[in-house]
Amino acid sequence: MKEIIDILEKHFGTDTPITPESHMIDDLNGDDFDVVDVVCQIEEALGITIPEEETMGLGTVQELITVVSAHVES
Amino acid sequence: MGGIFYVKNLQSQLVISEMNNAKLNEGIEMQKELLIQKENDFKAITEANNNLLLSNRQLEEDNQRLDQKFNKINASGKQRDIGNLAVQKPKSIEMILNKQQVERARCFEIAQGSPLTELEKNATKKSQINSECTSQANPNYVGY
Repeated sequence: MKEIIDILEKHFGTDTPITPESHMIDDLNGDDFDVVDVVCQIEEALGITIPEEETMGLGTVQELITVVSAHVES
Repeated sequence: MGGIFYVKNLQSQLVISEMNNAKLNEGIEMQKELLIQKENDFKAITEANNNLLLSNRQLEEDNQRLDQKFNKINASGKQRDIGNLAVQKPKSIEMILNKQQVERARCFEIAQGSPLTELEKNATKKSQINSECTSQANPNYVGY
């Protein structure tokens, strides 16, 4: 969780506080490419691979955490 | 007798002068027409030039928008590498590009007079908008 927030802060900046409810596009002013970029960065940092189907359409930070957590724990 | 010849000569010269005058007037009229034609041509050229400038400005804006989209710099100063993302997540990038293509097609429809849908009218979040022509497609969206 902390690592994910760190990556998000480095990517989107800290002007807007990042919470699980934050929407990566609506609240953090990202775009669809940013979401893919962030997923790639998380995969690299945590040494995991998440199937693309699971990351398509991700919106909120909580949704991202849920998907990532499923692969970290397994 | 000499007076009569003098008058006759003057009369013939007058006829020649009148003919020359008519030719000159004809020439002036032609010049006027040419001038008007030139003015019209100049107006048409100026208009075409203005249209080209406008098109060029729009292309530059599109280019800047695309440049920002594909080479966006994140908060850490790192530039987005779209090529690398496409290698790592090809399906996701394809989906995004396809979505943008659909949005662009919709922009053309709107430009040709297609009415906005309720979803387009009511879009107030960035994730809901048509990012290709937001000002036309989503009048109620207030950007950052």
